[in-house]
Amino acid sequence: MNNHPIKSIVLISQSDVILTGLSEILKGSLASEIIQLHRGDEIVDYPEMGGNILVIATSDEFEKSTSIIRQVLSVSGNIHFMTLQLELNPVSAPPSLNLFDSSSLICYKVNEVFNSFANIQAKEAETELTRRETEVLQLLTKGYSNKEIADQLFVSTHTVISHRKNISEKTGIKSASGLTMYAILKKIIDVNEIDAADLI
Amino acid sequence: MELFNENSKLASVIHKDHSLLPVINRLGVKLGFGDRTIRTICAEKGIDINFFVETINVFHYEAYFPEKRLLDFSVSMVIDYLLSTHQYYKDYLIPENDRLIELFLSENPEESAENELVRKFYAKFKDEFVLHINFEEREMFPYILELNEAIGNPVLRESFKQKYPGSISGFEKEHSNMDDKMDDLKNIIIKYLPPNYDQNRGNAFLANLFMFEKDLKNHSRIEDHILMPKVKQLEKVLLSHE
Repeated sequence: MNNHPIKSIVLISQSDVILTGLSEILKGSLASEIIQLHRGDEIVDYPEMGGNILVIATSDEFEKSTSIIRQVLSVSGNIHFMTLQLELNPVSAPPSLNLFDSSSLICYKVNEVFNSFANIQAKEAETELTRRETEVLQLLTKGYSNKEIADQLFVSTHTVISHRKNISEKTGIKSASGLTMYAILKKIIDVNEIDAADLI
Repeated sequence: MELFNENSKLASVIHKDHSLLPVINRLGVKLGFGDRTIRTICAEKGIDINFFVETINVFHYEAYFPEKRLLDFSVSMVIDYLLSTHQYYKDYLIPENDRLIELFLSENPEESAENELVRKFYAKFKDEFVLHINFEEREMFPYILELNEAIGNPVLRESFKQKYPGSISGFEKEHSNMDDKMDDLKNIIIKYLPPNYDQNRGNAFLANLFMFEKDLKNHSRIEDHILMPKVKQLEKVLLSHE
């Protein structure tokens, strides 16, 4: 698994001064690439963008092009939007950058967003069950004991217990009946395969 | 962290944390207390001030649990509080949960297989829960109250010993199992249920469930860390009379 996904910034502004200036400042951030667009709909030229994407634009620009940006980028990765405020005393709420922010504050705000991506991904990565854990879960929902599961999978009871612990940590579900529900909802088992009256 | 004290106006306490409303009800206080302080209200209603203050503080701050001071309260006071908590669950929280989960699930008749599962899971959780509180009310609390009476009275002591040859250890039940199921139900709805339902009804059900969870955690904490140690202490005293 790639632990360092690409961090891209998409800057949208009709002003070259803003585009160039912000790009220069953002070179000091965690971003690995910065894309400059004059209009939001130019995003269609970048359909292959992946990883974590931070879109920075004025609120006017967002009003015009949020839907197209979402449409194009939704397949490729995580998107986050940040408004660029042009007035010294803005009225709109954060998360936003202000044209009059210092360069270090701008980088700080942007890095905060990228770091939050990293946290979400680390957590998400832990929730995927392995093939073995899925097998254990399947047998568990059929009412087999730890010992019986161990025998069927040719592993020790200790290993089964440790799989069960991991399953509960990843899913956030602890009780046997809760795990059965999870397995049915996630289509890991067929509801007809089990005696639902008994297990839930 | 700021704790409430007997000089706090109850109205400002509620403004700060409205989840305390059912707690003050249980302690015997209803709305309409004007600008009176906790001290005045407790004096008027004949409520133990310390018990009132500690109970709301423990409920308000999860990190706050002054075990030593809580152990000073009388067994009957603690049981009275636990009983009115049970009453609140039976009269309000459980029926409200039933109503909200049914509203939530009935919104989406197509996915009846999934809804049926959630319904079953919830029903099982509820059955266990009701069984648990009934057991406490019919068996455990009477045992504790009789034990408490018997301690200071030699005649009662003998009849008590004949009636209950065992000890509280036989009554002890784990709360963790119910807490787990409550957690599971929340996670299933938040994380795994297909999102084709009425969001407002889903939110209403979850909000009630979160309230239930907070209350139940508090309740379990008082039983496990206050009531049980007190009973074991009383049993020791009883044995020392032999």
